[in-house]
Amino acid sequence: MIGERNLWANKLTLDLKFFMLLCGLIALVPLLELTPYTLGILIISFYFALIAMGWNLLAGFTGQFSMAPAAFAMIGGYTAALLNYHFGLSLWVGIPSAVLVSALLGFLVGSTVLGLKGPYLSLTTLALAEVARVVISNSHDYTRGDQGLNVPTLMQSRMGYYYLFLGILIGAALLIYSLMRSRYGGFLLAIRDDAHGAQSRGIPIVKYKLMAFIVSSSISGFAGCLYGTFTELVSPEMGLIQQTGIIISMVVIGGIGSLTGPLMGALIVYLGSEWLRSVGNIQMIVFALTVIIFARFFRTGLWGLFLKLYFYLFSDKKR
Amino acid sequence: MTHPIIKVDSISKRFGGNQAVDRVSIDIPQGSILGLIGPNGSGKTTVLNMLSGELTPDEGSIFLGDMNITGESPSRLVQLGVTRMFQMTKVFVRLSAIDNLLIAGQALGLNQAECHERADQLIKELTLQPVQYLDAGQLSGGQKKLLEFGMCFMVPPKVALLDEPFAAVHPIMRQTMSQFIKDRHQKGQTFLLVSHDMPIIKELCEESVCMNAGKIIAKGKTKQVLDTAEVIEAYLGGDHV
Repeated sequence: MIGERNLWANKLTLDLKFFMLLCGLIALVPLLELTPYTLGILIISFYFALIAMGWNLLAGFTGQFSMAPAAFAMIGGYTAALLNYHFGLSLWVGIPSAVLVSALLGFLVGSTVLGLKGPYLSLTTLALAEVARVVISNSHDYTRGDQGLNVPTLMQSRMGYYYLFLGILIGAALLIYSLMRSRYGGFLLAIRDDAHGAQSRGIPIVKYKLMAFIVSSSISGFAGCLYGTFTELVSPEMGLIQQTGIIISMVVIGGIGSLTGPLMGALIVYLGSEWLRSVGNIQMIVFALTVIIFARFFRTGLWGLFLKLYFYLFSDKKR
Repeated sequence: MTHPIIKVDSISKRFGGNQAVDRVSIDIPQGSILGLIGPNGSGKTTVLNMLSGELTPDEGSIFLGDMNITGESPSRLVQLGVTRMFQMTKVFVRLSAIDNLLIAGQALGLNQAECHERADQLIKELTLQPVQYLDAGQLSGGQKKLLEFGMCFMVPPKVALLDEPFAAVHPIMRQTMSQFIKDRHQKGQTFLLVSHDMPIIKELCEESVCMNAGKIIAKGKTKQVLDTAEVIEAYLGGDHV
């Protein structure tokens, strides 16, 4: 008997608990005396996890399969970088501006694709993302093109960045949790399952789709900006379609439509890709095959498999 | 004559060269169960689509009480009290049955406590207790129909537009649904019922409207409408008249 655990509110709360548990374990990892290189790899996987969480809000919870998460991260990074490069503005202005500009562009992209769904929505967002990347790449006078732009750093300590990113991941999870636990979360899920049906129940779908676009792009923009301060460089490569592909694989492998899935997926995919790099440059082949296997056989991803195991061990047996 | 809660004034809708609905006027009296019948392709669902805001009439007007609601969006119309059950069931398949009801209540401004209270009541009334925690996608076709039916009544609407609610539904569930309609009707609820199921139309609807080829061919007391030669011809063909 599946019982009350299948209620959305209960599923989400359990999800958040596991997310926090995972973050608690991640917080202990630096006790293993990691090299700066390994710390850097972990920090970059957190960056991807943050974008993956933002994209998951839009695609996993709202059913809007955007192909522009990496482009929004690039835009966030460039906003802070351009404000610093041209106007000498500090990150205290740059970071909020990055979030605001990403939110505004999220609103514009969201408005553009409102009437679209499925492959049409994906292709339009992909086209808009490519336009943004090519414009940045070709505007040498303003952006220095493919050379990229320097960004001031928030701190020199990698350990500091490790815990900063981890704290922000927790903050993002709490934000998404609060949103999804509220009535608005229910509306987003209804739109995901049947937008027309949601509208016929009285849900103003335009408003909530736009809201999801804005929040998702803000999270991506924020992630991109922080990543820029960590690497002290932003470049058009941040917005490459391959980056979006990696983000989507992280969510699909980790578990779409969950809080913990994108974090699990980001850690496994990014750390796995670093490991596979030493084996030979076969990481994209491995991830492509993994995505196919998960999409075909395990649609709920690792998080779904983990939940099945959890309920088998701790819940169903007792009933 | 009871004041109509919905007044449809000469609406028309054309799709390319096909005149789907041609100057149709219908009054739905407050507190009535009005049947809307007609053979396939007669324009019933198109009329319903215009009433629920899915389509905007090319001509004519629709009034809810004194308010002109022609061309309002579906979500606005639900907020105004015009709810719709679809022929092709629309439930949120990856959410539990009870979550479906909660979302329908929240969309209409109920708070959490009210939502839970009404959802529990509807689950009980519609005998969905055994499946209330299952994802809606796992329910049988009939259970999905019952669930969507329940979602229409999380907040009692001014008018419930029901498009083939009994199609492909098990007789016991059909009984549950028709009893529910009768009970609500006793309390003054207004329904527009589209169905091919003549026994149920006879049982529930005192008055009916019959459409064919986009036009109204008969209206009035259900029994009289069903006995009209034009209606019999429309359903069974000329040889049976």
